[in-house]
Formats: sequence, C-alpha cells, structure tokens
Amino acid sequence: MPNPRKPERSVVTTCAYCGVGCGFKAETIGGRVVRMIPWKEGKANHGHSCVKGRFAFDYYDHPDRVRKPMVRNRIDEPWREVTWDEAFAHAAAELKRIQATYGSGSVGAVSSSRCTNEEIFLMQKFARVGLRNNNIDNCSRICHSPTQFGLSATLGAGAASQHFDSILQADVILVAGANPTEGHPVFGSLMKRRIREGARLLVIDPRRTETADSPHCRADVHLALRPGTNVAVLDSMAHVIVRERLYDEAFIRARCHWSEFEQWMQLVGDARYAPETVGPEAGLDPEDIRRAARIYAKGPRSTIYYGLGVTEHSQGSTGVMCLGNLALACGMLGREGVGVNPLRGQGNVQGGSCLGSWPHMFTGYRFVTDEAVRKSFEADWKIALDPEPGLRLPNMFDAAVAGTFKAIYIQGEDPVQSDPNQNHIVAAMRSMECVIVQDLYLTETAKFAHVFLPGSSSLEKNGTFTNAERRVSMVRKVVEPLAGLEDWQITVRMINAMGYPLHYDHPSQILDEVARLSPAYQGMSFPLIERLGSVQWPCNADAPEGTEVLHEKQFPRGRANFMLTQYVPTTERTDDRFPLLLTTGRILSQYNVGTQTRRTGNVAWYAEDVLDLHRSDAEARGIQDGDQVTVTSRYGETKLRARISEKMNPGVVYTTFHFAQSKANAVTSDLSDWATNCPEYKVTAVEVAKVPARTEAPQRVPAEAKS
Amino acid sequence: MWSELRRLRDDVDYGTPPRDGAPVSLTVDGVPVTVPAGSSVMLAATSCRKSVPKLCATDTLEAFGSCRVCLVEIEGRRGFPAACTTPVEAGMVVRTQSPRLQELRKGVMELYLSDFPASEVPGGWSELHEVMAATGVTTSPYPTGQNHLDAPVDESNPYFLFDPAKCIVCSRCVRACEEVQGTFALTVAGRGFQSKIVASQGERFLDSECVSCGACVQACPTHSLVEKSLFEGGYHRAQPPQA
Repeated sequence: MPNPRKPERSVVTTCAYCGVGCGFKAETIGGRVVRMIPWKEGKANHGHSCVKGRFAFDYYDHPDRVRKPMVRNRIDEPWREVTWDEAFAHAAAELKRIQATYGSGSVGAVSSSRCTNEEIFLMQKFARVGLRNNNIDNCSRICHSPTQFGLSATLGAGAASQHFDSILQADVILVAGANPTEGHPVFGSLMKRRIREGARLLVIDPRRTETADSPHCRADVHLALRPGTNVAVLDSMAHVIVRERLYDEAFIRARCHWSEFEQWMQLVGDARYAPETVGPEAGLDPEDIRRAARIYAKGPRSTIYYGLGVTEHSQGSTGVMCLGNLALACGMLGREGVGVNPLRGQGNVQGGSCLGSWPHMFTGYRFVTDEAVRKSFEADWKIALDPEPGLRLPNMFDAAVAGTFKAIYIQGEDPVQSDPNQNHIVAAMRSMECVIVQDLYLTETAKFAHVFLPGSSSLEKNGTFTNAERRVSMVRKVVEPLAGLEDWQITVRMINAMGYPLHYDHPSQILDEVARLSPAYQGMSFPLIERLGSVQWPCNADAPEGTEVLHEKQFPRGRANFMLTQYVPTTERTDDRFPLLLTTGRILSQYNVGTQTRRTGNVAWYAEDVLDLHRSDAEARGIQDGDQVTVTSRYGETKLRARISEKMNPGVVYTTFHFAQSKANAVTSDLSDWATNCPEYKVTAVEVAKVPARTEAPQRVPAEAKS
Repeated sequence: MWSELRRLRDDVDYGTPPRDGAPVSLTVDGVPVTVPAGSSVMLAATSCRKSVPKLCATDTLEAFGSCRVCLVEIEGRRGFPAACTTPVEAGMVVRTQSPRLQELRKGVMELYLSDFPASEVPGGWSELHEVMAATGVTTSPYPTGQNHLDAPVDESNPYFLFDPAKCIVCSRCVRACEEVQGTFALTVAGRGFQSKIVASQGERFLDSECVSCGACVQACPTHSLVEKSLFEGGYHRAQPPQA
C-alpha cells in the first residue's frame, strides 16, 4: 500500500533519553509502537524532537531484550531461566547470607537515572529498609554530583535556576563544558533560535564544537582552554569583573553577604588570576578572557548553561561554584533570562539526585545524620534506620577489591562500561559473591552478574521523570512490560523478599509518599501533573503549581554564599610518556553507553567510537585519517580509529564511550572530584600510536591484475 | 516569545504561531472573536472553530502564504487575501465561506492534484487528504502532462523517506529545518515547475547536513516526507499513470 498505515492509539509520555525530557505521543498499531510524535504541549520541547527520541525507539522490542529472570551460581556458568519468585528468593537469600557472613555493610545498591522517580525512590528504600544500611548511590555520582554540591554551596539549591524557555529572554548565553546541539539537541535548537534573534554566545570548551563554531551558531568568544583549567579560567573572568568593577553591588548587598564577597574579591582579584597569567597556562589569549568577562557582566541578561565539561574534573565542584559566584557577582539570578543551569545527561538525573538515592541523604537533600529528618522517615516506614552514612559508588568498588564489599543490586546501570578505570571496576565485580543486575539487555556489567532481573523500558511503565529544569512529567505505559513486571514492581518484590512488607497499587502512591516526606515535592501528585501537564519543583503551599524561576525573592538559605574557589591543578599531568590530554564526550546520534541507541538505526551516523586529534599531533606520529591507533594512559590501553579533526587543538585528543568494544574507559583515570568523587573523565594524559599494519593483512591487488 | 510557544495546543493547529499582543476584536463568519494583536486572520478563524483550509501553514512556523487555499474575503478589501499572512485588525469582518471562495479553492486543489499520484488519493490521511475532503476535490480535470510522478524516492535516511511525487513544494519542511531545528539543511532548488525540495546541495538526506530531528517529517502536509515505520514490507510507490 502506498499510503502509510494510520496509528490506532496514542499515549502522551516523556522521552527517556537526555535531560531535556521532551513530551512525546507514542503511537501504536496492533500493540506495537510505530511512531513517536513530539507533543506540542510539552513545555520542554513545544513540538520539537531529535533523532533519538523521535526515531530511535526500536530498542524496546529488540531481540536482545531479556524476557525471563535468570540466575547462575558463578559467572563462568551459563544463565538459567527461572520464575520471578525463584529469582527474588535466590537474590534475597544470597544478600542475607552475605550480610550474615560479612556484616550488614557488605552489600549495597545503585539506582539509575533512566528509571522513574518512583523507582529511584524505591531503590533507596530497598537499601534502607531491606539491607538496613545506607549503601545506596546513584549514577549522578559520576556526572552531576558536583552540581548538587557546588550549586547548593553557593545558591542553596542543587538544580537549574530557570526553565528552558527562559533562554529566549537572554541577551548573553555562556555555555561551559557542554555541547547542547549534540548532547541536548532540542534545547540546542531553542538556544540557536535565540542566537538568531541576536543574543551573544560565549563558549568555554576545549573543542571547536558545533555549538562554538558552525554556520548558524558561532560563539562571539570561544575560550578553547586546555582540559583541566576550567577553574583558573573562570576565576580569571571573575578577576576581570572585580578589577574592572563590573559587579552588581546592589544585588550583592541585597542578596548575598558583603563580607563574603570581599573575601572572594580578594582571592580572585589576586594577580595570579590575571588573564595575562592564566591565559598562557590555559592556552588562551588573555584578551579573550577579558572580552568574555565583560560581555557576561554587561548582560543585561546573561545566562549560564553548563555540562559535564565543568563537573567531571578533580575540581568539578569548584568549577560549579565558580559559575555560581559569577552569576551572584553580576546579579544574574532570580529573574527571566539569567541563571545558572546544568544540562543533565540522562533523562532523570535530576530525579536521581532529588529522590534520596545518596549514601548520606534522604529525599530533598536532607542528611541521614539529622535525627529529626531520620525520625520522620522511621515514623512513616515503621522501622529503625541506620544513622551512619553509607558507601559512595566508587567506595563500594574499592571495598569490593579490598574484600569487604560482597554484593550489589544494580538498577539500569552499566558501570563496567561507563565508569572510569575499567580494569579496577572489573576487578571489583569479579571479587563480589552476588551481583544483581536489573536491565533491558545483558550489558557489559551483566557479564559479571549472578542474578539478572529483566527490567522494563520507559514505554512499558508508569511513573514520572524530573528533567534538567526541575520539571516533573508523566511517563505513561504504552505497551505491557516485555518481561511482565514494571521496574518499580521488581524493586517492591525485592524489598518484600528481604522481609519488609510493602505494597503499592500504582506508582502514584509512591509519589504521594515522596511528597509526604520531602518539602520540595510536598504538593506534587499524579492528579496535579495530569492537570498541568508537568510541574517544576519546588511545589508546595507557597507554590501550589510549582516554580519556574528559582531565587526570585530570596535564596533557600535567605542569602547566597560566595565560595572561595582557589585553582588547584589536577595531578593528572602530561609528561614525555603521555604527552597528550584525552577528553571524552558525546555525539548526537548515540546515547550514553549506547545500550539503546546501538540497537537502532542510529548506527547509520555513528557506528563506532573514534579518536579525534589535530593534524599536527597525527603527523608527528605518522597517523593518517582512518588508521587504527592505540591510546595508552597510566591506567590502561584501548584501540580506536583515528580521525583528523579541525575541532581539536594541538595536544588534545577526544573520544566518546558509546560502544563497549572501544573501551574508552579502560584509559580514563581514577582521579575524581575532591568533594563528591565524580570521576575526572575529562582529563587523562595519554599517548597515541599507530597500530603497525598486520603482516598477514591481505595485499591490495594491483588494478591491472583484475583484467 | 516563550509564552507564545506555550499557547500551542496539541489538538488544534492555529495555522500561524500564537501571539502575545493586546486584544483585538473582529468577526469571522458573523461570530465575534478576540485575539492578541499580531495574530493572523487564520488564527482568529481557528480560535472560533471556523476552519479555513490550509496546506503551507502550521502554527509552529511563521506564515508563508504560498499554497493559496486559505483565501478569505474581508469586507472593504479588494481581492481574496490569504488568511495566514493577513494580520487581524480591530473591527475586521471576515468571511471564510462563499461560493466564490469555494470555486477558487477548488481550482487550486485541482492544480495540486494534477501532479499528485491519483492512486494515493483514496485511503490517505495526510493534511492534503483532509483538505481534499473539506473542498470536495479528489480528482483533477486536467489531462496528464508534465509531472513529478516518477521522480526518484530518497530512502537513504534510516527512519524516514522523501517521495517527491507527493511533494507540493509548500516549503514547510524547509522552514521547519530553519525555524524549529536551526540546521538549514533543506532548500527549494529551481524555479517554477522545476522547483523541488533538496537537502544540502542536492545530496541524499543521509549525506546532507540533516541531523534527522524529524521536524520536516512532522511539518509535511502530504506524507511526502514520512516515517518508514508506517509501512509494512517497505515502500512501494504507486505506478505513474500511463500516458
């Protein structure tokens, strides 16, 4: 038939890919999803979409989906399909055995930012009431934990200050360590729309990204700094602002502590942060730093959007604080068109952060050590809770290698591929006695698992996601879960198997529990979200329909804080053996570890990870475009295909980690953020060498021999 | 600007983007309606449920005025202004239906259908098919002449295809690529009868700057750009009529 088939049914839901959280209508024929149509009423996307959310949904019923629970005693044994009851009984028995043998703290859990708020909340509840400890972490540990820490320290709230549409009222847009047109494409389009209308663009990124330099999006100033010098450069911009008196004194006096500002001014005003000093160290023209600082300070409405290029450093938290300080100093907070905004990688990183999936915090960023808070949870859950903070994710792996951590329940995460220093993670996984993986596919991590719980994709369950602008939107079930259970049901059954009775009829009751126990979510409920389409937290008695712009009248703590942000260079240095700096990132068509997008037509654009490098670095090593090269660091080695790229500065190389076989994280270091342990993915000293042509490689047949 | 985007509704296509101006009152087919200044006559008509047929207009894109099916009558004005490109004015009296308008729209639709695969008229559900139903035109009286019915289909993109035989060159895809996505990968090449939609410099979609965001597919009113997932067993285009 030449005319297309007409979809029979349509369900409005939220895209599960990046942190933009676009609204979509999932359309089905005969119970199968055939089309995802961007929803015009989606407040994050207004009817727009990108190649991932719009088209790359085939992963959901890919033959690789695991449809039955499986167990095995040892990781070298084949998997054995079992019933759900057997799987839960086996997993719980193992966890209890291990706790009895090695102690209560020898087990833990990790939640996923691809799961719903309700599922993340249940994972931390699993650790606290099922394992009876606080060994619970979430994957924002390895991406945006510095955001939570750095923005809380300065502004009092670890989340974006604006809504996305606010950028349409900005005069100056500062993008730091992010590439929205590839990483957050729908927001990238909104940003480009504003740039076409005349907003000025400042970009801080070591690469000449599409955001920094493309025909319809070109930075007024692009600070292509050396990886690892963010804090120095941001302090240097602050230096210009204080030395040239470009700060907003009235705002600082009204909304901050003047004495703190003076202390900060003394630090960044020091000659060591002068552009003339920082410029050469960061590989920048000092005049560019001055121009960027002046444009930002002048505004009148300047906004900051930043990504993992700021957070994934040994001074990641400091970098985030630098951005908070800059906005405070210039009065760029508390109104439309300004603000400081993290661009979140996975669909529900903000939710992962808010829902108490932390070893030291309950929902709403309240400490487990705070007795009053803990008591409120104990009263609701009717169980005594551990007052001691638990292990962070990297500490769990360290403890596993040390032999004191023996079991982990991993929800929708693939640390073997995604976490840094892969060899270390593999050693940790091998040393555990029970690894429980809940995922869609047999991932790299599942190779080391003893129990596999087949999860449900976001098309197969009900719940909510919180996007990068704090917007809580509905995830609605479009098709029945392929393996029979929605992820929240799996975790409930795990909690039950651990001996804690618990029952929910619907995820809305889980959100009600979150609302009951967390001030920022107080007014949140499924009926409210149904009525308004989506709701930005805080949502409470003062803001019954949510809050679009934070900090309008005051900061959560009353006044905001200037934090002292001294530049301390990373100990990851180049030397004669490792003279190049490797930095990592994302591309448009693939998503994160690629488990979903690699199983879709998106491989037409990007079928493997490649190593981008500057022509001069390639020529010095005899490398030509397309050659296989080895990338070696102090931590490991991998092989990639080289691509000579004008986006790179000499001395800096770049790759992505979307494909398991490229093992990009075999190379990355185990250094991490001083405050939050967020890995330093963005700076690794490496050497690149051409792989010698294999002698048995087929010889090219001379053209004339063919005839 | 941002609050205008938020006025978009999923179940309504206002035809032109909602605006934020001061209220302006007018009547459409005798019904009084008040809309923000800067709105089009088409938006005013849609707001009071008077549907004006349209092909090149949609409310996520700025008005363009190329398809000529949204013609209306406005008291005190000569001719038949396009509802999409005419801004509202206070006291305006608009008529969306009259024998003369019907005749004009029919004439335009017959021209479109003279270069559209006849075999794909029945059973279709695109916006073009809706306008066919609204105007009662499903055939063209013209003899088979020069046409685009055997222009090659571009199936290079993994997710959508472009069949120029169904294209009416309304340029919604081109404008979506510019205004919504901001990539500017598409353009109209050539003039008059020769004009056609091309990606980059006449490359295949997959080889062009296209980032496959889907905005063009979303915007296309004729299913000329359409998701491959809606076809079972591949895309088999209709045979061109025998001369």
